[in-house]
Amino acid sequence: MRRYFRLHRIFIKQYLKRLMEYKVDFLLGAVGLVIAQAIQILFIGIIFSQIPKLQGWTFEEILFIYGFSLIPKSVDHLFFDNLWMVGYRIVRKGDFDKYLTRPINSLYHVLVENFCVDAFGEMLTCILLLGYAIPRLQLPFYWYTIPLLLVVVVFATMIYTSLKIMTAAISFWTKESGHITHMLYMTNDFSKYPVSIYNKAVQAVITYVIPFAFTAYFPASYFLTGSDPLFCIGGTVIAGSVLMALALFVWNRGVNAYESAGS
Amino acid sequence: MSPVKRFFRTYKPFTRAGMQELVAYRANFVCFFIGEIMSAFIMYFVWKAVFLSSDSDTFMGFTMEDMTVYLFIAFLTGYMTYSDGAFSVGEEIIDGSIAMRMIRPCSFEMCFLFKELGNRIVSIAIIFVPMVLGVEAYRYAVTVMIRFDPLCFLFYVLSTFIAYMISFYFNVIYGFMAFFFKNLWGTTLIKETLVGFLSGATIPLAFLPAGLAAVLNVLPFASLAYTPVMIYMGMYSIGEIFAYMGLQVFWLLVMMGLSKLVWNSAVKHLSIQGG
Amino acid sequence: MENMIYVENLRKEFRKIIKEPGVKGSIKALFKPNKEIVQAVDGISFEVPKGEILGFIGPNGAGKSTVIKMLTGILMPTSGKCVINGQIPQKNRKNYVKEIGVVFGQRTQLWWDLALRETYSVLKEIYEVPDDKYQQRMAFLNEVLELDSFITSPVRTLSLGQRMRADIAAALLHSPKVLFLDEPTIGLDVVVKENIRNAIKKINEEEGTTVILTTHDLSDIELLCKRIVMIDKGKKVFDGEIGDLKHNFGNVRTFAFELVNASELSKLDYRTKYRLSDDDITVQSDKNSVSVKFNADKVGVEDIIAYTLSKVHLNDMQIKDVDIEDIIKRLYKNGVES
Repeated sequence: MRRYFRLHRIFIKQYLKRLMEYKVDFLLGAVGLVIAQAIQILFIGIIFSQIPKLQGWTFEEILFIYGFSLIPKSVDHLFFDNLWMVGYRIVRKGDFDKYLTRPINSLYHVLVENFCVDAFGEMLTCILLLGYAIPRLQLPFYWYTIPLLLVVVVFATMIYTSLKIMTAAISFWTKESGHITHMLYMTNDFSKYPVSIYNKAVQAVITYVIPFAFTAYFPASYFLTGSDPLFCIGGTVIAGSVLMALALFVWNRGVNAYESAGS
Repeated sequence: MSPVKRFFRTYKPFTRAGMQELVAYRANFVCFFIGEIMSAFIMYFVWKAVFLSSDSDTFMGFTMEDMTVYLFIAFLTGYMTYSDGAFSVGEEIIDGSIAMRMIRPCSFEMCFLFKELGNRIVSIAIIFVPMVLGVEAYRYAVTVMIRFDPLCFLFYVLSTFIAYMISFYFNVIYGFMAFFFKNLWGTTLIKETLVGFLSGATIPLAFLPAGLAAVLNVLPFASLAYTPVMIYMGMYSIGEIFAYMGLQVFWLLVMMGLSKLVWNSAVKHLSIQGG
Repeated sequence: MENMIYVENLRKEFRKIIKEPGVKGSIKALFKPNKEIVQAVDGISFEVPKGEILGFIGPNGAGKSTVIKMLTGILMPTSGKCVINGQIPQKNRKNYVKEIGVVFGQRTQLWWDLALRETYSVLKEIYEVPDDKYQQRMAFLNEVLELDSFITSPVRTLSLGQRMRADIAAALLHSPKVLFLDEPTIGLDVVVKENIRNAIKKINEEEGTTVILTTHDLSDIELLCKRIVMIDKGKKVFDGEIGDLKHNFGNVRTFAFELVNASELSKLDYRTKYRLSDDDITVQSDKNSVSVKFNADKVGVEDIIAYTLSKVHLNDMQIKDVDIEDIIKRLYKNGVES
């Protein structure tokens, strides 16, 4: 375990060196993400210029949920972005061979090899949103609020990451699965708004099938209102753990089925 | 053989290749499409909540029905007019394989154009027609009236085609610019987000402050999505339709001219670098 | 001698989807995919003693890479057994790969955007090489592979030959007991090839590293390996010393004659004279010289000389050694039976 942390540090160090070579490009990516988020928020602003509350949620509350959704999303984006490449390119081109000839866990190796500082664009938006919303909301605050938040972020990030691991692993059988990752990943956008605005079918899907609702709305609503911690927080923990277990299982099966490329 | 006939004969294989490509990668295509259309559905639910939370039946002049039609037709128009020849141009410039295109006896951008058109033909069958039918079925279900206007639809199709051509040349220009920025992902994200916003595909231009909306209306971006969608919805009078489509044609000519200029300077640049 | 590598009846099947051409074919494949099982490796067995360099050859698509990938733990065999360094590659992969080094000539395992030196410092951590050992090792690899001149350059700026040397060094950093080299000289020029061969030889001699080498370049084989295993269509077709190969398969000789008079060249027609097929004889002529490559089982050495002397006047004559490349070419062409 210690060794893996040490390796992680070394990979980050190497990554930062690479970053220095491509400063402008990374900056552009981050700027792009900020602009994308800003336009979404402008949209919310336009809505609230006409109505005082959206199905009982105030402007600040909506911004809080929106901002909250960006925490696990950006953490996953920052650390585990390389999984996209597994589904889009690494397996198809046979480049996964390399990871299998190394004496460390292949999934771990893929995960830590690359970092995506573009995610700082999302993080910045997240900080701005929460920085705006939190002082304007009377949030219940206890000694355990911060530790609980950390726990939620860890498990919510696991929901993102394990969905990506699972869909990336499909490529071990099909050679390419980036588009499947894309399809599932895009459902995360549903989590930016209160689930109560969706119809029953959508609610069921984002709660029980692709449980992105547990990455933002449920935990965020707990932090907003303090109600139903068992479902809101417990659900995130369970969803994160179950998905991760499933993801590891699929990944390991996939590695065994990996056929490499060429003759 | 007449020159027109010869022209189509030269580029027909590209169209066929474009069609086959889409069919061959259909699974990827479907997954990609589902991922993309998700945002339109999220918007739909958000608007539904907005109308439920509002005392009035209209939001800045749009009813829920208008809003739904707007959302999905804007998505569809954005989808149909999307052009990513830019990516290929950029990559080919960077890896130098563009030289191979320059020695072939056919126009470089026409190859891309006809290949994408092949793609679009398949998209019309499997995306465009079902989505228009779906939108009209929804309109019928909500209003119990057939709201489909063949004349508007005809102008919409024409306007969307011009919008596609503008988008194509705009992206060719962008592709040449890729020569200068190496991170296509970051710049493309910026470009697409901005175009989505400025063209009214994300938020109807009518919702923006009046001054800003007036400016955006005459910029080329409105020609990409907002104009065709408003035509589809019957929001424009015949006079306005002609005026806005005239503007579209104007921007198309500007983009074509610009792409020519950029192409010429890129060729010069290439020959200096020795390809 | 103790065996480092032991392979028994190794087999690998791939499922392949056959697609008919055109739009119609793609639609058909959507509903009723036409699957076919391909035997990429079909029951291969061999052993490699410790410290040997084994040449592993065969035509394109013969299954060489598939075997290498099973031996390195990348692919799961469908059936059969391989034991390397006392371990089964797939069983405890992470532990097993600590003792092996792998180079795939077509791919690099170096980090593209980083200075070469950085790749080694990361690999040092991955393979847990202690600091003092690492210094020592880098000095040795530097000496053998001459990395000094480009060790601070980003990998993407290296030439193909430099990159290959760097990749071999990367595979050797942790002093593996077995080294797998898949096409290590592909695309390199003669001087660089020579360099790399010397390095492989030196490492094998000094450290007793067992090497498995696949290559298309038969001079790699002739210069490095005593023994070769040849496979074709997933099956082993030859296993033995190079000398035996020459002896067993093809008694091919080459004579080069230099004529006094270039105009007499047209008098020579070996093919019609001995009624030989293209496989058994090739004749190349240039100005006043002619080179005849023939199968000595089909036509006697004396006959060729006598015939030539009877037709033309000679300035000079040379007998060339048996060329392994020709034997292998003929074997590839004719398959196992002939």
